[in-house]
Parts: sequence; C-alpha cells; structure tokens
Amino acid sequence: MSSRHLAVFLWYHPWRATSAMFGFLYRRLLYMIPTVFLISVVTFVIIQLPPGDYLDTLAAELSDSGGLDEGTMQALRDQYGLGQPMYVQYLKWMSQILFHGNFGISFEKNIPVNDIIWDKLGWTFAISLMTLLFIWMTALPIGIYSAVRKYSAGDYIATFFGFIGLAVPNFLLALVMMYVAFKYFGQSVGGLVSPQYLGEPWTFDKFLDLLAHIWMPIVVVGTSGAAALIRIMRANLLDELYRPYVVTARAKGMSEFQLLLKYPVRVALNPFVSTIGWILPTLVSGEIIVAVVMNLPTTGPLLLRALLVQDMYLAGSLILLVSILTVIGTLVSDLLLAWIDPRIRYQ
Amino acid sequence: MSKQRNLKSVLIGGVAMASLTMLHMGTALAADFKEAPQLADKVKAGQLPSVEERLPKSPSVMEPITSVGEYGGTLRRAILGGGDQHNIVRLIGSENLVRWSPNWSSIEPNIAESFEVSDDATTFTFKLREGMKWSDGEPFTADDIMFWYEVLLDERLTPSKHPNFVETAGPVQVKKIDDTTVEFKFEEPNGLFLQNMAYGFGYYVVNFPKHYLAQFHIDHNPDVQKLVDAEPAAADWVQLFNLKAGPMHTPIFWQNADRPTLHPWHLKNGYGATERVVAERNPYFWKVDPDGQQLPYIDQITWDQVEDVEAILLKAFNGEIDYMARHIGRPVNLAALTDNKDRGKYDFYQVGDIPGSQTALMFNLNNADPVKNEIVNNLDFRKAVSHAVDREAINDIVYLGAGNPVQTAPHPLSPFYNEEWAKHSTSYDPEKAGALLDSIGLDKKDEDGFRLGPDGERFTIVFLVADVFGWQYPDVMELVAGYAKDVGLDFQVRASDRSRLFEIVSSGEHDAYLWNCPGGLVDAYANPDCYVPRGQAVFWAPKWAAWGADPSTGTEPPEEIKELFEIYRGVTSTADPAKQEEALVKLIDSASKQLLTVGLIQSNGAFGIARNNLRNHVDPMPIAGQLWTPAPYTSQFYFEGGDNLP
Repeated sequence: MSSRHLAVFLWYHPWRATSAMFGFLYRRLLYMIPTVFLISVVTFVIIQLPPGDYLDTLAAELSDSGGLDEGTMQALRDQYGLGQPMYVQYLKWMSQILFHGNFGISFEKNIPVNDIIWDKLGWTFAISLMTLLFIWMTALPIGIYSAVRKYSAGDYIATFFGFIGLAVPNFLLALVMMYVAFKYFGQSVGGLVSPQYLGEPWTFDKFLDLLAHIWMPIVVVGTSGAAALIRIMRANLLDELYRPYVVTARAKGMSEFQLLLKYPVRVALNPFVSTIGWILPTLVSGEIIVAVVMNLPTTGPLLLRALLVQDMYLAGSLILLVSILTVIGTLVSDLLLAWIDPRIRYQ
Repeated sequence: MSKQRNLKSVLIGGVAMASLTMLHMGTALAADFKEAPQLADKVKAGQLPSVEERLPKSPSVMEPITSVGEYGGTLRRAILGGGDQHNIVRLIGSENLVRWSPNWSSIEPNIAESFEVSDDATTFTFKLREGMKWSDGEPFTADDIMFWYEVLLDERLTPSKHPNFVETAGPVQVKKIDDTTVEFKFEEPNGLFLQNMAYGFGYYVVNFPKHYLAQFHIDHNPDVQKLVDAEPAAADWVQLFNLKAGPMHTPIFWQNADRPTLHPWHLKNGYGATERVVAERNPYFWKVDPDGQQLPYIDQITWDQVEDVEAILLKAFNGEIDYMARHIGRPVNLAALTDNKDRGKYDFYQVGDIPGSQTALMFNLNNADPVKNEIVNNLDFRKAVSHAVDREAINDIVYLGAGNPVQTAPHPLSPFYNEEWAKHSTSYDPEKAGALLDSIGLDKKDEDGFRLGPDGERFTIVFLVADVFGWQYPDVMELVAGYAKDVGLDFQVRASDRSRLFEIVSSGEHDAYLWNCPGGLVDAYANPDCYVPRGQAVFWAPKWAAWGADPSTGTEPPEEIKELFEIYRGVTSTADPAKQEEALVKLIDSASKQLLTVGLIQSNGAFGIARNNLRNHVDPMPIAGQLWTPAPYTSQFYFEGGDNLP
C-alpha cells in the first residue's frame, strides 16, 4: 500500500527540497521494475496453471456444436505452437513485448493482442476516470455535510444510503437499474451506445447517445466506492473538527466555511487521493460481472473470456498492462498525497 | 401439437433419399432475372456486371417455404464475444454440394446442379453449375474442388483427415471429369457419403477458392514468404495457409473476411474484433426464387456482440432480434419471452432439436480399474441403476415436466420410434434395483449403508458433470446421487467446467459422466454414437471406439459389441434407403437391450423467436449436431413490407 513507502513526520516539518522528491521518484521507479517483472511471471504461470490449454477448450466447444475431428485439432495444435516448455513461451512473449511492443497473438481471435486491447483499455480508462470524478463529486460534499451536521436527519439519511451502497453488490444494482430502465423508460439497455450506432463513425448524435448510456455504469461502479468514501470522510473529519487548531482558528474569528475547507477538510482528504491507484484495477478485475451484465466494451469481459478459454497471451497482456497502470496509479496518488499534505515527507 | 404432427408426418416416411440416378431440379428458364435495388444501382453505375452475368446458367430455383418474397431489411441477431461461430455457420455458412430438404427427409442438389450415385454406393458424381461464381466474381469450377482435394492429400497441411473423406483403404479418390463435373470414388461402399455431404461437414469441398488460397501455398506461390512476413499470426507458410484456409466450424474462418465464399451473405468484418459483425448480400449468389428474383431477399445480417446470454434476452424483449433460437430457446426463458412478445413484436417457432437422450448417465465401459470395469460392464448393474432413479421426479423438478422420462432411444417424432426401447427398464423400482445389485455380488454393505465391491472396498463411481447447454446437469446429478444412495450405491459427483471434463473423458480416465446422446431423429444414421461405439466423441467406451476405427488400436470389444459394429455396416455398405433403415432399426434394437447408456430424460425440442413480419422461415425447423440449419434456406427469408418492424 502507498503509505508503506512514506513516512509521516511530525506535522510541523515543512515541505522540503525538491531534490528529495526526485530521489523518491527515482527510487520508486526503480522499485517498479522488479514489481512488474514479478507480476508478469506470476501472471503467466497462473494463467497456465489450470490443466489443458486453449485447444482443449476449443475441442470441447466444437464437440458440442456439431462434432469434432482430430484433423482440425491436429492442424490447430501445430498452428498455435502449444506444447513448448513454459519458460520458453514466457521468454518469447516477454522479449517480443520489450523489444517490439508486440504482446503476442490472441489464440481465439487470431489477431495481434495489440489490435484488440487498446480500444478496450481506452474505454476502461475513460470509465474509470469518470467513475472517480463521480465518487469525488458525491462523496466529498456528502461526507463533509454528514460530519459537520453529525446526528442530524441529513446525516442519518446519508449514513443509511451509504451503508446500502456498501452492502448492495454492484452487479445486483446493475441488474435493478437495467430492469427499471427497460421496464419503465423503454430504453435499450446494455452497451454504451444504442444498437443503431454500433460500428458507426462518431457523430454528435452518437455522443449524446453515449451520454445517455454511460451514466449507468458510472453510477453502478461508483456507488460502493462513494459510500465507502463518505464514511471515511465523515470519520476523518470528525477526528479533525475538534482539534485545538480548529478551535484556535475559530477563536481568531475565521469564517466557519473558510475554516472548514482550509484546514480539517484538507487534512481529511488523504483517502480521496490514495484511492486513485486502486480505481483502475477495481474496474478491470473487480467489476467484470458488472461489465458482463451491462455489456460494456471494457477489458473486463475480454479478460474473463480470455481466462475461460485460456487465451493466454491476451489474458497475460491484459493483466500485465493493468498491473503496470496500477503501479503507476499508486505512484501518482502518492505524489499527489505529498503535495496535498505537507506532513508527508519523502524518505 | 399440430406442428409436431407436421414434422412427424414428413419424417415418418423415412429417409427417401431422393434418387440414386440423375436428378434434375427445375432449371430456371426466365431470361429476365431480377435483383435487389442496391445491386441494380451498382450495375447502373458500372460497378457490377448485370444479374444475368452474375448468376450461373441454371441457378438453383428455390421453392418458397410459404410465399415469394420482397427485397430489403436487416436481419439482426446477437453473438457471444467468443466461441460462438456456429451462430454464423448455421445461419449463412452451410451451403454444400447437396442439401437436406427443409423437413430433413430427402437429399436435394444445392451447389451441385445434379448428382449421381452408383448402385454399389462407391461412386458419387456431382455436376456443378456452369458459370457459377464466388462472392468476389471469380468462377467456381471443378478446379476449386480439386484444389481442396490437393490440400486434403497434402500431409503438410492435412496430417489427419476428416472421417467423411477417408475409408480403411485411405482417402477418397476425387477426379475432375470436366470443368463442371467431379467424381468421388471409394473402394468400399459408403452408403452415408451423400448424407454426410448434405450435413454440415460437407462444407470442406466447396470452401477452397483456389484463386484466393493458392497465393498462400508454397507450391503455387514460391514467394509466399513475403506474405508470411506480413502476417503477425503466422511463422511459416503452413501456418499462414491454415490461417487463411481455416475450417469453417472454427473461429478462424470467420475472422477472415477476405476469403471468397458461396454463401448468401458475405462477412464485411471479422468476428471477434469488433462490437458488431456484419454480413452483406453476396451479389453473385446462385439461388433464385420461382419468379427469377435473385436471392437473398434480406440486405444484410448483423450480429451485435454481447458478453452474456441474458443480454440477448433483453435485446429480444426490445425487438432488437429478428430471428434466433440459439442461446435463448430454452424452457427457462419461455415465460419471460412470452411476457414480452407484444413489446418485442415477435412470435415463436418450433425447433426440432431432439437428441437421443438429453441427459444420460454414461459409465465408462472401458474403465482402467478392473474391479469397476467388471461391474459396470454387467448389464444387471446398469439395469439396477436405471431402476433406481426416479425419472419422473427429475423431469418435474429440474425440467418442469418438459421432457420425456425415457431411455436413450429415438424420439416419438422419429420414423423409427419404438416404445419398447424408450421404456426399457425405466420404472422407478428401488427394490428391484437392490435385488439386482445383490445378485451381482454387491450384497455386502459397510456401516454407512454403502455397498462393498468384490474387493471388500466401498464401491464408488465418480461422476463428472459440467453445467453445459443450459440443461442443469449438476442439479440432475445431485438427484441421481441421492437415488443411488437409497439403493446403497456411492455415486460421487464431481462438478467441473466443460474443458476439464472433456480433457478427462477424452483420455479415458473417468468412471462415468453425464452428457447427451445424438440419434433422436434421422441423425441416428450418421451419428449412432450411443447405439454403437463409433465416432470421435464416444467416451462411454473410448477403447472400443478406437478398436472400431482401427482394430490395431484400442481394446477388442466383447462379441455383443462386435455384433453392433457388424449390424451398423449394413447401414454404410448400401445406398438403398430401405436396407439402411432396416439395418439401423436392428442396430438400435440390439443396442437398447444392452443399455449402453442409461438415458434419463429426452427433450421434446426447443423454440426460437422470429419477428412478426419475418416470412419464409421453416417451422418447425429441424436441427441437429450435424444438421446446420436454418442454412441453406436462410436466403429465402424476407420481411413482409421490405423492412424490419420498427
């Protein structure tokens, strides 16, 4: 976790020389190499742990749907070069990525992984960012409100919905929202655009149609995160609100609103920033079910399918990329944290 | 019910294999062929030759299923993100030399203008249509079939060949007589060859456009290495060729939109890489209706890619699916689909998807464990299991009473239905089961009430089960294990995923598994997998099956199994339908007495949905593992009013 690399110093320590920051950055970037390397090895090994390979899956599917013949299987087995030792496959894969930016071939789709994933990663990234914004925009004001007006009716309502948001599984929320949209608004649900825009070039109408659809996954994925942050914000802020410095500032005649935002809220903001790094992996791996249910063009369903059929280069590449993004996201959130909170020092 | 009778009445006549001699379908005479408006525009603009030039001299004239149609509209479907290529294959892909009639009763010419079968069922001659063209406008001739044959014989490209095209003596002999005539010759009689060419796997022969594929073949293009270098998914020319000439029933075929075909619609983009697969009308399609209108009527087909079967249901409710049975035509969905019928503006059609058994207990009769092997090979043991399970209860609890509680046997709609086979040992009688088990030496029990085997250990059978086809196998198996326990049998249930199960059973390491059996209808001729251990997927007796294919491998079966092989030879060694039927009936009779598999439930077919203005689709539509319908009749579908309902 992020705080492992940081030391929280006594709060009167000032933000110090920028050289410390560069040293920190340099060290962190260095740490990332073995981390990512280990992730790639583990990924590759775990994907291959289940018995069988893509061809066994294919064989099973073919025999379901009209019969299987050995000839086809034999040709395919040669086609995919399965059967080499695992470390050879790993080394080939890695060297292609490092030296040629080539993530290998998807067995199932027979096209380079590169041609499949960037589009989907783009959507994943976009939805992640928007979800993050949604979480912040809801959690921040509500969290502040329910801390400042502790035990008021508003606080109870926020708390109530916060717990519900935490407790309801995302996919269930997705199903319920889809049902309501389908039943009462007659909307075409699932996917990010209506069927008539699928595969069409981007136009303003298509963009509007996108906006009409995209809020649903954002709300679904963001709800539990927002609920959690509301609770955290409230707790953190409650810790701060009764500190002597707040009392002092108030005694000096500072306006209540300015005081609130300038000091305790700023201190309580840490968890907001430190979650940046997690939102991406959450969306990619944790929300697969939501993406499957809502038929989103994100990496989740692609990864799920790739794992199910053991399309190992596709699955491996996705997990690797997401891991790298997570590592980078964690770094960014650590840097932001230090920027927001002067008490945190690089060491 | 009336529809069921309808299907029955056509099937009951047996397979009247239309002819053994020359068969001519009505040749279209009308010189004035008509074409779709878009194509006419293209012809006017000079982008396309005229319809007369595009059609063969004698196009295939399709008798309308209900009425002559009109052009226009898009047939909308949904497809899963991966592994769902049969969604495309069965809709547009299955256009072979010959085809089954819409009701699956006789064989008619299709790509071939006519065919001829020698009396001894060894020589099959197909006459092609003169002037017929691939979807890119290049001529389709006997040379394309000879190119397929060249690839078939090439050990580098086809190390192991499809069973349709090999016999004990080796691969079939294919000879080009002239540009439009091809002859297939076998050493021994091959009575099922014509059927096999009409079934799905007949596709091989007519899917090798030489003018396109030759460039990937080193014997035809010495510079092939350049193409290999340009293709990231191939390392040498063999891989490249296999990639470009991949089998139609695998995803590879549908990922390559460049490969010319003879299908009514041609893919515009590959399957898997985009959110929507689109297939456009093939301007060179070689079928016309009786009025001389070139088929297909419908402009294009789209498959929206979804990740989940439930998403297809939602689309259906919203009227975004025009014709589909795949994935959604299951009893569990019937209520929801009925509720939303008006909203989605669709109605149901009947799908004759009828197996020999939908849910059957399959003991591995070649068990590696000698103790278990001896017991499961005892007919009384299988009889005991059959009497121990309450089929009615399983049918009611799991399938809501929708199935028939019978053995693995032909369905009542089949021309060879026999109640005796279906009801054999199906009564629920635990006492009788117990007595039978006592009589075969399983009479001692341990303190938990489970029977001990002859070796003094508890007799345990491990059942593999996977949740496939939406038929709730794990639920059925739990019930079966309960019934087995009631009579003192220890059936352990191991749920696994399909590929794992497949891996175990294909290596023969299993005790038993739960699966389905083909052979409920006419497919019993070509797929008697559960009546005789013959075929690629016979995992209830893998070693006998291996022996049957090649007696130097596998294990020599006992006499009664050898006899089944012998009887089945009566089906394959003649082309006379009457003799074939006689042999098949004898085979099923003999096999069902042996309870090779213990059938539990047989389904009565499934259903599909078609939008209210979709016409000319076959209803009831027969379908089977090898019968890849609704193709080759999809090109006749049309929307009344020339477009989709709003």
